[in-house]
Amino acid sequence: MTMVEYFSFLPYGKYAFYVWLAYGVSALTVITLFINAKRTYKRTILSLKNKFSINQ
Amino acid sequence: MWKWIQRQASPKVFYQTCNRLIPWFFWPFISLLIVGLYWSLVISPADYQQGDGYRIIFIHVPSAILSMMIYAIMAVAGGIGLIWQIKMAEVVAKVSAPIGAAFTIIALASGAIWGKPMWGAWWVWDARLTSELILLFLYLAYMSLNSAFDNPRTAAKSSSILAIVGLINLPIIHYSVKWWNTLHQGYSVGTGGIKDPDMKIALALMFLASIFLYALLVSIKARTEVLIREQNSRWVKDEVSGVVL
Repeated sequence: MTMVEYFSFLPYGKYAFYVWLAYGVSALTVITLFINAKRTYKRTILSLKNKFSINQ
Repeated sequence: MWKWIQRQASPKVFYQTCNRLIPWFFWPFISLLIVGLYWSLVISPADYQQGDGYRIIFIHVPSAILSMMIYAIMAVAGGIGLIWQIKMAEVVAKVSAPIGAAFTIIALASGAIWGKPMWGAWWVWDARLTSELILLFLYLAYMSLNSAFDNPRTAAKSSSILAIVGLINLPIIHYSVKWWNTLHQGYSVGTGGIKDPDMKIALALMFLASIFLYALLVSIKARTEVLIREQNSRWVKDEVSGVVL
């Protein structure tokens, strides 16, 4: 059984594997970008808070 | 007008503007994404030739347009930084690069996934695909060059020149389907493009959602970059002490 046949129970039948794979890859990329941006901001704030408390 | 621009170019005002704009970009993005996905996956009818496989274009086309648009913004911002020495333009150019690269990856990946059932191959060395791949390499080169220098001003100067030179690739990507006999289909938007009103609405919604996503990510990344660059300024200390994580 191929991947295309395996995922054909999902909406869009024989195209289900390709459609959901494309949307999945895009969602994963966007979520990674978003989480990474938020995490870097938090890390920067924490390191600056540390730096300023040391300097005080 | 010029005074307003100068005021916005101040790192402190720029940081505060980014902070204020984030919710204004986040909520429209989420709303447009939800409605856009519903329109793309439920309301839009199946294509008479490609069946439901065509639904990939609702992410492929907006991400491909954004990949080029962001590159243009990056090069223009880089140019502004070079000519007028506006540091915040350099920040916009720098933070736009990874976002543009991500949109290019989405365009290439979704195109490859669409290509398999339609063309029978994940990849062909077609003019449109190859020039889009070159765009990804340009983004990667820009990011590598930008991180190769310790001094952010020197990094911005050299990488901006690269971005401006790389602009030549944008008309090549856009007109590749006209200039060469390519396997890639013609324009999806405009004359000869999609005709169904529901498909057009879905595409417009997903495109608008992508623009808000870009603006949102730029705002989040730019405020971080400004804090790092201006960490020795008094206002950063005041701002950081007020942030509750």
